[in-house]
Amino acid sequence: MGIGSTLMAGIGLGDPVIRLGVTGLSRAGKTVFITSLVANLMDRGRMHALRAAADGSIKAAWLQPQPDDTIPRFDFERHLAALTGPEPHWPEGTRHVSQLRLSLRLDGRGLLGGLTGPRTVHLDIVDYPGEWLLDLRLMEKDFSEWSAEVLDRMQGRPGAEEYQAALNGLDGDRFDEPVAQRLAQTYTAHLHAAREAGWSDCTPGRFLIPGEMEGSPALTFAPLPASFEGGRLHKEFRRRFDAYKSRVVKPFFRDHFARIDRQVVLVDVLGAIHQGPRAVEDMRRAMADILTAFRPGRAGWLAQLLGTRRVERILFAATKADHLHQVQHNRLTAILSAMLREARDRADFSGARTEAMSIAALRATTEDVIHQDGQELPAVRGRLLDGRQAAFYPGELPADPAAVLHPARDGADRWLDGDYAIMNFAPAPMTARPGDGPPHIRLDRAAEFLIGDRL
Amino acid sequence: MEMVTRLVGRPPSKLTRFFINSGVALFTFLLSIAALNFINDLLTRYPVLGWIGVGLFALFTLAALGMAWREYRAWARFARIDAIQRQAGAALAEDSLDKARAVADGLVALYRDRPELEWHRKRLADNRGDAFDARTLLTMGETELLAQLDQDARREIEAAARTVAAATALIPLALADVAAALAANLRMIRRMAEIYGGRAGAVGGWRLARTVITHLVATGAVAAGDDLVETIAGGGILSKVSRRFGEGVVNGALTARVGIAAMEVCRPLPFIAQPRPKVGNLVTRGLRGLFGSDERG
Repeated sequence: MGIGSTLMAGIGLGDPVIRLGVTGLSRAGKTVFITSLVANLMDRGRMHALRAAADGSIKAAWLQPQPDDTIPRFDFERHLAALTGPEPHWPEGTRHVSQLRLSLRLDGRGLLGGLTGPRTVHLDIVDYPGEWLLDLRLMEKDFSEWSAEVLDRMQGRPGAEEYQAALNGLDGDRFDEPVAQRLAQTYTAHLHAAREAGWSDCTPGRFLIPGEMEGSPALTFAPLPASFEGGRLHKEFRRRFDAYKSRVVKPFFRDHFARIDRQVVLVDVLGAIHQGPRAVEDMRRAMADILTAFRPGRAGWLAQLLGTRRVERILFAATKADHLHQVQHNRLTAILSAMLREARDRADFSGARTEAMSIAALRATTEDVIHQDGQELPAVRGRLLDGRQAAFYPGELPADPAAVLHPARDGADRWLDGDYAIMNFAPAPMTARPGDGPPHIRLDRAAEFLIGDRL
Repeated sequence: MEMVTRLVGRPPSKLTRFFINSGVALFTFLLSIAALNFINDLLTRYPVLGWIGVGLFALFTLAALGMAWREYRAWARFARIDAIQRQAGAALAEDSLDKARAVADGLVALYRDRPELEWHRKRLADNRGDAFDARTLLTMGETELLAQLDQDARREIEAAARTVAAATALIPLALADVAAALAANLRMIRRMAEIYGGRAGAVGGWRLARTVITHLVATGAVAAGDDLVETIAGGGILSKVSRRFGEGVVNGALTARVGIAAMEVCRPLPFIAQPRPKVGNLVTRGLRGLFGSDERG
């Protein structure tokens, strides 16, 4: 990409680029979503609801070398092999940022379509560890605020006592690197334990997946109670916290999120419901906070010329919809909408288009009916992680989302009426016809909403 | 053309209907008595001829029953299309996949006997498992099964528009052109029903025409609307040359409208992803070359 084409793209004359921001907490299914989306855009046999694919105006799709030379390419082939190989399994958690550019060759359309000939549209997608996304919330907080908040919600989570014990008997006026290291390690251990137990608001995210920054001062701090204020330890930790924000969080956000124009927010609602009301509330708060960091709305043409970008379309997607029979998908969508109501209203108000739907980027189950006590239960059948086949009825989601969100907001320990148990299914082995991508649920509609208008 | 829509679309008043019905009843009654007397007479005078008469009567009755059966079948098919239409509307409104699946089943059953759609039916059967929304599934059914038929329907409308335009322009008798236009329109409506899987019988065809005209009136499409402006303006240039040619173009456009209304009535699904044909396009294509090359396109 030379200066010329950069310049042309800048004033809107080059090939259009769609920057798709895939946001979601850890384990929401970002990697699978990206892999399946790309695979299905390359083999478009199952993209019936994507109009450009259905009417054949997408002529070809090509996985390009990505435009940014310093970031590794999204390992599409390995992830796809993991999902669709002879022994399919889910890809491991993402541990670093990667990027990918898919170029679509399109037939010209409209009045001038015949004159201009085929067009090219680039789709840029970034994959990253979901843990890092939580750091966006740190940007408008200072160290004392953050400490107070973290220490407050730490109560009752695994590893909290150890950290409290480490804080006790600490001299706030002295700063020792080994002490700081030990404190940071205890805190990191607490974060790991909390995340294992299903909490999603574990900040700072880099403590969980540090990458090559492990052990650097910017990653060696921990929250301190207000009693330490004024001491040398507090001062040093505050400096490191600020460094973390300006050197780690800000570049990440600036490089990968500030310029997106389409956004998909993946939320594992079913997983949270399975873990209980506290996880639901926790996830709701985390997502609402994260989403305030984005700027939705429509960028006028002048703003576009000046390089300002805004998120024009946001799709809120409840993932893993294949764990439910399709009759319950509407309810799942309703719960998701209610959960992210605030963010959605804000986006709608600022002129962005939003939509909520239940999707499964990779369909691991088939629909089935279980006969039990003379009742017919709409169930799903799939392969469990240990290889057994099972048909499974996850319980009925409430028709009114408030039945899920209210107990969560009130801090209930468990659901009052019935459990919602979700099984973990492994990807199903499949034999695809030529031209068909991996099976999915509504990925085509998601793609139509996200990028369909630009194709 | 406006005359045609008026002729066909006017609902008879209750009194008129009563008058007609009682008249027909009386006439049939008299006719049967006359026939009975006649046969009776014949039997007493020339028994052989009388028996021949009875045989002929029996044959005719059989034929009449056959016709009635065919009409009934045609009605039943219409009713099926109608039911599919209603179901599709409900499925779309409620976004209910179960209903949409029922609609897809109904569609496939409706076109079971069409060998030219065999491949499309197979594709639909292969792909429908991928659809998890009513809309997606119905779009799939529309694209696979109806897109082809839409093209046939378009061609039929274009042909009818051309016939009507030519008839208006060339037949010099007043009212004779009205009759020709009426015939062309009725024929087009019947073809439309046949293309989309209905079988219009004699009575059914007339009723269908009534439905179509009612649909037209209900959607307010009989008067010249914005999509006709261009046609009328174009006809205006033509009407400088000849008034009748100008009228021909306008009548052709109105026929295209009737055709689109007929399409909507006969099509088992509403237009979801497939484009609804536009009067302008149909007229442009249908009348190409009819009035020389000054026609657009």
